[in-house]
Amino acid sequence: MAKKFRSKKAVERGTNAVIYIILTIISIVWLLPFMYLIIQSLRGESGSSTMYFFPKEWTFDNYIKLFTDKTIFNFPRWYGTTLIISLCVTVIQTMIVLVTSYALSRLRFKLRKPLMNLMLVLGMFPGFMSMTAVYFILKLVGLTQDMGLVGLIIVYTASSCMGYYICKGFFDTIPKSLDEAARIDGASRQQVFFKIILPLAKPIIIYTVLTAFMAPWGEYMFASLIANGSQENFNVAVGLWQMLQRETKQEYFTRFCAAAVVVSVPITALFFWLQKYYVQGVTGGSVKG
Amino acid sequence: MAGLSLKHIYKVYPNGTKAVNDFNMEIADKEFIVFVGPSGCGKSTTLRMIAGLEDISAGELMIGENVVNDMEPKDRDIAMVFQNYALYPHMTVFENIAFGLRIRVIPDIKRDKEGNPVLDKNGNEIPIMRKYTNKEINDKVMEAAEILGITDYLGKKPKEMSGGQRQRVSLGRAIVRSPKVMLLDEPLSNLDAKLRTQMRSEIAKLHAKLQTTFIYVTHDQIEAMTMGTRIVVMKNGFVQQIDSPKNLYDYPGNKFVAGFIGTPQMNFLEGTLLKKGEEVHIKFENSDAEITVPYSMLYKAKPAYLDGQTKVSIGIRAENISVKPETVKASSAKIKVKFSHKEELGNQTLVYGDINMQGDGYTETATRIIISADSTVNAQNGDVIEAALDISKLHLFDVETEESILPRIPEYNYLDCNVADGKLSFLSTDIQLPSAIKCENGSYELLIPTCAVNMNGTDIAVNVVECEEINGKYVVSFELGGRRMFAVSDEAVKCGKAKISIDLKKISILKDGAAVVEAMPEVNRLEGKLVKEKVVETVEVKVNPKKDVEVTEEKNVKTKKQKVVKFFLDIEGCRLPCPDSIATKLITAMGAKKAFTEKLIYECTPYGFSVVDGDGGIAAQIDSVLDYGSEKFAVCKVGEKSTYVLCGGNTDGTVKLLPDVDKLAIIQAAHDIRIV
Repeated sequence: MAKKFRSKKAVERGTNAVIYIILTIISIVWLLPFMYLIIQSLRGESGSSTMYFFPKEWTFDNYIKLFTDKTIFNFPRWYGTTLIISLCVTVIQTMIVLVTSYALSRLRFKLRKPLMNLMLVLGMFPGFMSMTAVYFILKLVGLTQDMGLVGLIIVYTASSCMGYYICKGFFDTIPKSLDEAARIDGASRQQVFFKIILPLAKPIIIYTVLTAFMAPWGEYMFASLIANGSQENFNVAVGLWQMLQRETKQEYFTRFCAAAVVVSVPITALFFWLQKYYVQGVTGGSVKG
Repeated sequence: MAGLSLKHIYKVYPNGTKAVNDFNMEIADKEFIVFVGPSGCGKSTTLRMIAGLEDISAGELMIGENVVNDMEPKDRDIAMVFQNYALYPHMTVFENIAFGLRIRVIPDIKRDKEGNPVLDKNGNEIPIMRKYTNKEINDKVMEAAEILGITDYLGKKPKEMSGGQRQRVSLGRAIVRSPKVMLLDEPLSNLDAKLRTQMRSEIAKLHAKLQTTFIYVTHDQIEAMTMGTRIVVMKNGFVQQIDSPKNLYDYPGNKFVAGFIGTPQMNFLEGTLLKKGEEVHIKFENSDAEITVPYSMLYKAKPAYLDGQTKVSIGIRAENISVKPETVKASSAKIKVKFSHKEELGNQTLVYGDINMQGDGYTETATRIIISADSTVNAQNGDVIEAALDISKLHLFDVETEESILPRIPEYNYLDCNVADGKLSFLSTDIQLPSAIKCENGSYELLIPTCAVNMNGTDIAVNVVECEEINGKYVVSFELGGRRMFAVSDEAVKCGKAKISIDLKKISILKDGAAVVEAMPEVNRLEGKLVKEKVVETVEVKVNPKKDVEVTEEKNVKTKKQKVVKFFLDIEGCRLPCPDSIATKLITAMGAKKAFTEKLIYECTPYGFSVVDGDGGIAAQIDSVLDYGSEKFAVCKVGEKSTYVLCGGNTDGTVKLLPDVDKLAIIQAAHDIRIV
């Protein structure tokens, strides 16, 4: 007697249906704010909020005015400042993180383990705990307000080596025998790093670049503290927050939405450009697979 | 193309684990050396120390003429092939092979565009350092690729290739630089069995073609046996034996080597030896089997083993036991074996059995026996069959130390002797004992080290029977008074009549196992440590206003006081200036802190001292003087210990001994590491 089984396909179909329904709900909840933001940025009517979702009048004016009307808020300048800071931080931080991780992964020295633990623990403290102290130190050397750009770059990159952890984990997966082979082939430590390890570390470089870029791009707390009210030296996050103050909210809300969209463009572009390296497994074939 | 020399090489990890212990070896140019041993025996560590990937804790490593202990891997002119190939995955095969050439700079002379040398104003060639040109790189890579048959793959990436091809690329990367020494770290372990056999012969071919020194690490004894000109068998960081494959197989120095080399593993049975006249009876444990061998086979064995009481381990290989009826019939050394099961291998059949009639033949015991038979054996489990042992292929080992009791180079001659009125008589020979050896009349056992017998002597007439070369030394066996004796000589000795002398310093006389007369120790052991001191020194400094002008006037020379760190060896409370080279060795071996706190042991031969008057030197009290006729030695008390010193004539009372620093051997007491 053949025992009756439920069709495997039918069961699978049922499960999938449930899964997809849940996923759809989650994505709607997740995407709705973005949709709202984009739609609001294209709204022709003024005012901070409307009682309806889709605007009655569609326009690009908000975007155009954002870059041309500099009477109260100098958005292009904020945008430039933020871009410069983020790019500088990205370059410096990526270099520091890679070098630190490589050293911690390959070199054996005294206090290596304690140092790694210390950095891990220190990295867990939120950065703003030291905010006031950092502000006064920067003020002492004159790196606030007008020189805030330099100050911010220093603040953002100062603790970058603490982000070694993920990167070191990646270097640990690159076989040590590659280093050894290269050293026997005649390469110095630097040559091993730049000619052998870095080309293999593309995914982790991309990861480091992305995180290094994103952190200062949307950062608010240090930026507002160090700019200390000097409008010229705001970054986008601080500047945009200014738009939402009670006095200007009514007039500038749609422009704020447009700015928010503009701000998200570089990160999105960066991610789309670099994501293919994310997936690429490059160590294949180096050792017995 | 260069030889290597490894002298007292140690690898000690910071936690005190000794990975490599006192590794000594001379490797000649163009040799194919194989390091073999179970995992964790230190073979790879040794190779990596040669490569420069691991620091050498103590000892001296020379490649060619240079001491390379402190040299970067890239400057050692070596190449290495790794077990996992270690190819650069982002480069093509061509670039992988070319990588080493691209980053290397080579000395050359300056040339103009046509390639003619450019001369400086004195007409000399101008030396420059330059990189390889693309054409040179191309030529070299193509040459290496052709040797290895990988020209078709040069454009591929490593991941597109099979394991065998990858290992070939890895070999190509090594040979393209024509290194002095090729190091191979288990290069075939990741390949499948068939490819392994194929690559094995290709590596052997490569060695013949390149004419370079190869050092090859493997855990596979078949690879070792088939490829090496000499094999180093290692275990737990100690070198067990260094010899040619054939000698390792025929004359294993200890039980480990015997068991490691050869498949199936050598059978180890336990038993006792009893000498009866010119025959020795071998009785096996847990069995009534007994065989007889002529005593001539066991000349080199210590008599204590032949008393019928001392247990020994008897090794015999599977192929030296036969179950063929005609062989068994003719043989005099027959044993009964309880048949257990068999393994058909096609070309041979392995018969498993037990000489213990209660044994099962499966578990590895001291009675289990494996026999290699060529035809199908018709026996059922439990049947008792007869097997014949080839007694000339027996290997005997000490049960405790596992050392062979028939060493190829025997250490001692064991004899009976009589002492009467200062005369030592053994084997119908009398020797007048010097006053240094005081012994009461009676009969004793006499131990004459084989190195104490001088074949170019004048005293005793002997008949040389055989002279055999073993590892650069000559073992001479000669007859004296009807007994076979052995001597070790540095040069060949002709068979026939000869005269020998015996170095009486080295003989021992024993009574019931306890020494009555002890051989003079070859080295004295003294204790002490390394001391660092800052000394204010007056140094002449040239004060020179203009550069590149010879300082001639005296007023330009000023003296200046500066602090200089000096090292001293503290030997039993006496301070000797220590050359910087020795101090550096000590500090690198022990670490900067430990070097000055840990106890050191100094070894110094009796010839390494000079007796001095006045200050300096170790204060010693002369206890007695040993007079060996030609040489006299003073026995001095340094603290509690006796120290033997060569002395000229009359000496008594207190003397000062000054050891020759260059001839000292220095040992770190805590870990027993020979540093200098």
